[in-house]
Amino acid sequence: MRICLTSLLLLCFACNETKRPLESIAEPIGIDQTITDQSQYSTLGLTKLSEYNFFDGKLSDLIPSKRVISYDLNTPLFSDYAKKKRFIYLPEGLKIGYRENEILDFPIGTVLIKNFFYSSGQLQVGTAKILETRLLIRENDGWVALPYVWNHEQTEAYLEITGGKIPVTLRNKRQINYLIPDMNQCKSCHDKGSKMTPIGPSVRQLNRLSDSEKKNQLEILRDHAWIDLPSHELPKLAVWNNNKTGTLSERARAYLDINCAHCHNDEGPAKNSGLNLTVFETDSYRLGVNKKPVAAGRGSGNLKYSIVPGHPEQSILIHRMQTIEPGTMMPELGRTVPHKEGVALIKEWIKNL
Amino acid sequence: MKNIYYLLILVSLLACNKTLDFNPVRNFSDQQKSILTTFILAKDSTVIELPAGHFKFDKSLILEGKNNVIIKGQGKNKTVLSFKDQSQGAEGIRIANCKNITLRDFSIEDAAGDNIKATDTDGIIFDELIVGWTGIADSTNGAYGLYPVLCTNVIIRNCVVFGASDAGIYVGQSDTVLIENNVTYWNVAGIESENSKEVMIRNNESYENTGGILVFDLPGLTQYGENIEVYGNKVYENNTANFAPSGNMVGVTPPGTGILVLATKGVQIHDNVLRNNRTIAIGMVSYALLEAMGGEDNTGGGGSREELEKQNELDAYYDPFVGNVNVYNNSYENSYLLPNLDNDFGKLFLFKFGFSIPQIAWDGLKSPNYYLEDGSVNPDYLICVNEADDIISVNLDAENEFEGLEENPEIFNCD
Repeated sequence: MRICLTSLLLLCFACNETKRPLESIAEPIGIDQTITDQSQYSTLGLTKLSEYNFFDGKLSDLIPSKRVISYDLNTPLFSDYAKKKRFIYLPEGLKIGYRENEILDFPIGTVLIKNFFYSSGQLQVGTAKILETRLLIRENDGWVALPYVWNHEQTEAYLEITGGKIPVTLRNKRQINYLIPDMNQCKSCHDKGSKMTPIGPSVRQLNRLSDSEKKNQLEILRDHAWIDLPSHELPKLAVWNNNKTGTLSERARAYLDINCAHCHNDEGPAKNSGLNLTVFETDSYRLGVNKKPVAAGRGSGNLKYSIVPGHPEQSILIHRMQTIEPGTMMPELGRTVPHKEGVALIKEWIKNL
Repeated sequence: MKNIYYLLILVSLLACNKTLDFNPVRNFSDQQKSILTTFILAKDSTVIELPAGHFKFDKSLILEGKNNVIIKGQGKNKTVLSFKDQSQGAEGIRIANCKNITLRDFSIEDAAGDNIKATDTDGIIFDELIVGWTGIADSTNGAYGLYPVLCTNVIIRNCVVFGASDAGIYVGQSDTVLIENNVTYWNVAGIESENSKEVMIRNNESYENTGGILVFDLPGLTQYGENIEVYGNKVYENNTANFAPSGNMVGVTPPGTGILVLATKGVQIHDNVLRNNRTIAIGMVSYALLEAMGGEDNTGGGGSREELEKQNELDAYYDPFVGNVNVYNNSYENSYLLPNLDNDFGKLFLFKFGFSIPQIAWDGLKSPNYYLEDGSVNPDYLICVNEADDIISVNLDAENEFEGLEENPEIFNCD
């Protein structure tokens, strides 16, 4: 009797479905920046980047014109190792409203200009290559995001609402199929309380020396009479890869804040997960410590908790940052390779929790 | 005597060797750019007409912030949207921040994550859709077939949903939901309502999943579920091995589950047909029990009490106990002699009940507020069972290591 039952048990264990191996993703066909003017998009915005007159001289030199000021962030979003040149265009006579913790209050007419490029030092062949320029335009009824794709000759960028895919070879022979988001993908990240919003330019992110002028970026804006600053000390986010700017925890939290918290906040698209990764979160459970996934599907990677203190290898957070499998990887959009250095930082942080 | 056992072995072997495999013929053409453009350029009240044919996409189709839009194919067997080699985004179709959206008359398959996800949307109808994953149903499939979350006024009807490694039809943190006349099979959960309110699940057919219909409440989310009515459904042969990636709540569902209520208050289960769900036709459990029953890879922290206390600490408002459940007028049939034995529930049932498995089980874990001051049971935690005389219901008394396990207990009689 006992033997029979045991064999029954064995059989039932043995006959689990055989697992299908993961299918490899087919190599996408690149558009390689053969982009042209599409008049059908003209109701959405200017179809050529040059028509906005944001830049003086040769367009690809990205020399800001009057009313355009460049800025950087303390800890930026990772985008497949692409470098970024960011600018603010502010209409004459207007001012940016100061907000301590949120994105600054940009007036109607503001345009945030973000150029994505690989430097000649990164590329296996050729000179620096700008791939795309994203505009966030503050219109009467809110922000609008428009993606512009640069042509191969680097003389113009065209509005391309369906986005694109550009194959790039880096010096280390790494192949990247750089993905340009379509217009609707933009809001998958730029969404706060169902409204389109910028992600980067908060006081804590802008509070740093300008690369070119060796002067604090916020003071530059103030000296241009673009913003009024309070007299108290301004919040400052750590630079994720500079340990002089913050503790391990501060740098890790800064990294999670910009790379994850645009969705994982109480008003963001990932609020249904109950995981909140903003730099302001103080509840360790909501930060993911010993928190079970809610609707992660195979994103859990057979792991039980978002963060297991001391054990990055058991933490879903790390698993989803490392993988490049769509449906599992985090963030869901905007990268096709893992950010090795960023993952290392978060691993170190979890190890020391 | 021995022959009978050999026969049993043979039967169980045959039963679990069935391959859940679906390989339809597809002739793909590339319409990605034009279809994507119609989604992006859609305005309020646009009708997005999807042409007939088989179309493949490498990224999600997103509809964002629009009102009164209809997305319609030329028939669920004529328009097929495939996301098989998807390289960007987790969903096939994503609807976000919209109002009054209808999706109808097409097939959608093989998304990396969820086939259709709708979030933060008021008024969404899924009608006459075929939603699934091709090939063998296994853990590499996406999580949800139809996935409205944080939505209000949801209707899912006349859809066929299969192959989801979590739930075929999943409604999460939503309010006012009607799920009717759907067919779900080869999913881990056929239909699941999670932390949702005012949900009606009626006249569906759910078979060959791991669990037919699940009603779950989990801690730490934006809202808790209540007022759920499950009736008129045909729930049968839900004996598929659980192929959810572990770590997911649904992964603890024992194969052979008909209807499972987890930690939810206010559930009516009536007039369903429950047939050949090998382990349990209707189960009612607290969050802690599912944890404890999760099998050997459960790291949820030993004893169920301990786990309970931990969960209570994490979400002070979460009530991990099941209650205010009415089970009546369902019909039951089970021609299997043994429960599924690849899970703790099944083993427990075999050990405790032999070949006479109960149809209805409550874990018997009691809230500290289970009794009122006057000694009566708090109506919030009442479990009422009113079924035919030959139906066996049990209080498992998991609280006391199953010692007070009781068949057809008096506490189920609420008359």
